Amino acid sequence: MKKEDILKDLKELLSEDQINVDYEDLYQASADRYKKYAKAKRALDVPMPVAIVYPRSAEEVAKVLRYCNEKGINVIPRSGNTATEGGLENWKELTIVIDAKYLNKIIKIDEYNMQATVQAGVVLQDLEDELRKRGYTTGHSPQSKPIAKYGGLVATRSIGQFSTLYGGIEDMVVGLECVFPDGHIARIKNVPRRAAGPDIRHIVIGNEGTLCYITEVTVKIYKYFPENNRFYGYLIKDMETGIRILREIIVNGYRPSVTRVYSEEDAAQHFSHFHRGKCVLILMAEGDKPIVEATCKGIEEAVEKYKDGIIERVDDKLIENWFNHLCWTQKDIDDEIQCMIDSDRHAGFTTEISADWETLPKIYYNVIERIKKEFPRANDLTLLGGHVSHCYINGANIYFVYNYDINCAPEDELRVYHHPIHKIIVEETLKLGGSMCHHHGIGKYRTEWIREEHDSAYYMLEKLKKAFDPNGIMNYGAIYPQEESIRKYIYRS
Amino acid sequence: MHIVCLVKFVPNVENFAYDYKTNTLIRENVRLVINPDDACAVAAALKLKEKNPQISIEVVSMAPLNVIPAMEDLLRRKIDKATLISDKLYAGSDTYVTSMIIARYLKNTRFDCIFSGTHSIDGDTAHVPAQIAEMLNISHINHIVDIDMDFFNEKRAIVEVDFEKKTCQFEIKLPAILSFQKVSKYKLPYIKYEDMYLNMRDKIAIATNEDLGFDESEVGLKGSRTQVIRTAVKEFAKKEKVIVGTDDGGIETVYRYLKLKGFV
Ligand SMILES: Cc1cc2nc3c(=O)[nH]c(=O)nc-3n(C[C@H](O)[C@H](O)[C@H](O)COP(=O)(O)OP(=O)(O)OC[C@H]3O[C@@H](n4cnc5c(N)ncnc54)[C@H](O)[C@@H]3O)c2cc1C
Repeated sequence: MKKEDILKDLKELLSEDQINVDYEDLYQASADRYKKYAKAKRALDVPMPVAIVYPRSAEEVAKVLRYCNEKGINVIPRSGNTATEGGLENWKELTIVIDAKYLNKIIKIDEYNMQATVQAGVVLQDLEDELRKRGYTTGHSPQSKPIAKYGGLVATRSIGQFSTLYGGIEDMVVGLECVFPDGHIARIKNVPRRAAGPDIRHIVIGNEGTLCYITEVTVKIYKYFPENNRFYGYLIKDMETGIRILREIIVNGYRPSVTRVYSEEDAAQHFSHFHRGKCVLILMAEGDKPIVEATCKGIEEAVEKYKDGIIERVDDKLIENWFNHLCWTQKDIDDEIQCMIDSDRHAGFTTEISADWETLPKIYYNVIERIKKEFPRANDLTLLGGHVSHCYINGANIYFVYNYDINCAPEDELRVYHHPIHKIIVEETLKLGGSMCHHHGIGKYRTEWIREEHDSAYYMLEKLKKAFDPNGIMNYGAIYPQEESIRKYIYRS
Repeated sequence: MHIVCLVKFVPNVENFAYDYKTNTLIRENVRLVINPDDACAVAAALKLKEKNPQISIEVVSMAPLNVIPAMEDLLRRKIDKATLISDKLYAGSDTYVTSMIIARYLKNTRFDCIFSGTHSIDGDTAHVPAQIAEMLNISHINHIVDIDMDFFNEKRAIVEVDFEKKTCQFEIKLPAILSFQKVSKYKLPYIKYEDMYLNMRDKIAIATNEDLGFDESEVGLKGSRTQVIRTAVKEFAKKEKVIVGTDDGGIETVYRYLKLKGFV
């Protein structure tokens, strides 16, 4: 099939202003932040999509999907465009990007039933602002909050900085609407709980555009008490001390909204004004006054229990200030892009994993040691460290962060730097029984290990693809490994 | 034809963090990188070599042994040879002694031309190339922003030099030291993927005091005629980005700015 024929057909399905074939926009749509550096340097090696389309309703999404399904055209669903793992990277010559730009309505804020319904293209910050005016919050605060949109947030199983209190997106989604490749529109109703068979929301949440297109989401909302927020910050002896304190707080039943431990190196990049070369522990308690007071008591008791590992307390104001500037705006992203164009640097990469309390420190130290020992360009590393930022009763995540001076061509950057480091993190995590992917989604680059990640349960994941996307038109290469393309676009061989 | 490039490895100031309590730069974990002006000089030499494969390039640096990986990366960019002048005795040498040590090495080395940077971002004295030229009794020109690729041979070079208010062209007899500036358009090429892990250790020669034969009293802190009493941290003013429209207000803002800077 020719590109011109696809464009002609699309014009039958949608109006002209819903079809974008602008060269620059298509170039930008060819890859996401995974290949951010090659993209900024105009050195992308992937094909450009044929068009970006902007449906205005679930019915229009269904029309486009049905057409692509019949013709075997790859579809990449897109919302806020902040994907970090290659979820938006295009690996097919014939691809249509379905963008949620016009699905941008906040449909309903239901204060009595504590839920809000939005279309997939609503920016998280917009709903948050609307709720704040009424004394509520979404409770969801990924660092990409000012840009990420609900379709993507649900499709990636995203998580925010206040997750230890509010949970991840999967704890917030009440119901949703999505469209399958055959054009079927499914609405999952909004009820507090049910036992009517398996929870089918979880087929959609985290599907990364490989099974269906999300058009509408209903999420829980929460009362917001910013005036009660309390912050705690400490310089601590090591990561392990921090992890022990977090565990103590959580297993005793307390739920601070923020629970974070930073390694020395990561602390140095975030808290240059007070870290003094030490690890940093930070916490935030929020909610109604008695809850905050109880949470603070829980925090203080845990800190007291492990006081031998505490070096000093940090001024709360410093922690509060830092928090207020944590999110990335579009300007921050644009600045990073400009920096990549002007120089041979970027803001670094991350890999996020999870494991139980016992395993967490082991993974951390094994990874750091292996990278320092085995990574052939270790000399170029300008940063290697990590932090714990989301806690659960049985464990937490680690967010490894790393940056380096780039000495190779932009198109080789990932295979020279990011991939070898990423591989060590994934291998060490899987070896000790953790999950290689805590919240960014699999995208295209971690698919190599997806079978190992799920082991015997991969059977279920595979069946889902076969059942809902039998023609394989949804986001080719994401979640489900495609060996030939991995060789071509990851190993460049 | 043989070009020697003098290279200094400097702390990567872009990675410095600032300790606001003690008002000092945090130098821990700061890595050494090639001085930006020197990188331009090496890049210019590589460009000339690209045009004329007969040219061979040797990089010479006086530095501790921990710069070897960075030297190896230079060699992976198609530099022919590298020499590291390194000896514990040389630690703490001032610019005069440094120039003396490098000059002695160069006296026994064949070269048709020497390239270097103009300034280094840490010391920033611009002494070393000039002093070496004096000691070798050859000419020196600095602040070079361009070199004529077509008129470069064993005998002469044509270079463009930045004089703040104007750019002048000079023809200079070789051998001489040509000192480049970062603003020149030359940029080090990337290392090719296939060359990324080439072992280059064998191409790095180490010259110690045994080779150069200085008396202990002549070099290092002892031999230095200047001593650092105190270093002060340069204040980096944060630049504000102002976006103005093409209306009267915008024009007025730009005009006032240009006036303030003395351009109108
Ligand atoms: C600066 C920065 C900070 C970040 N911080 C966090 C963080 O704190 N926590 C976190 O979890 N993530 C974070 N991320 C990652 C990213 O923001 C999240 O994965 C987010 O959920 C993606 O949302 P989006 O709307 O931008 O989706 P997109 O980037 O548009 O898409 C992401 C993926 O979802 C699929 N998708 C998008 N829309 C739909 C749809 N309507 N239907 C089906 N599939 C769809 C895409 O195909 C793709 O695979 C960060 C990213 C950046 C750039």
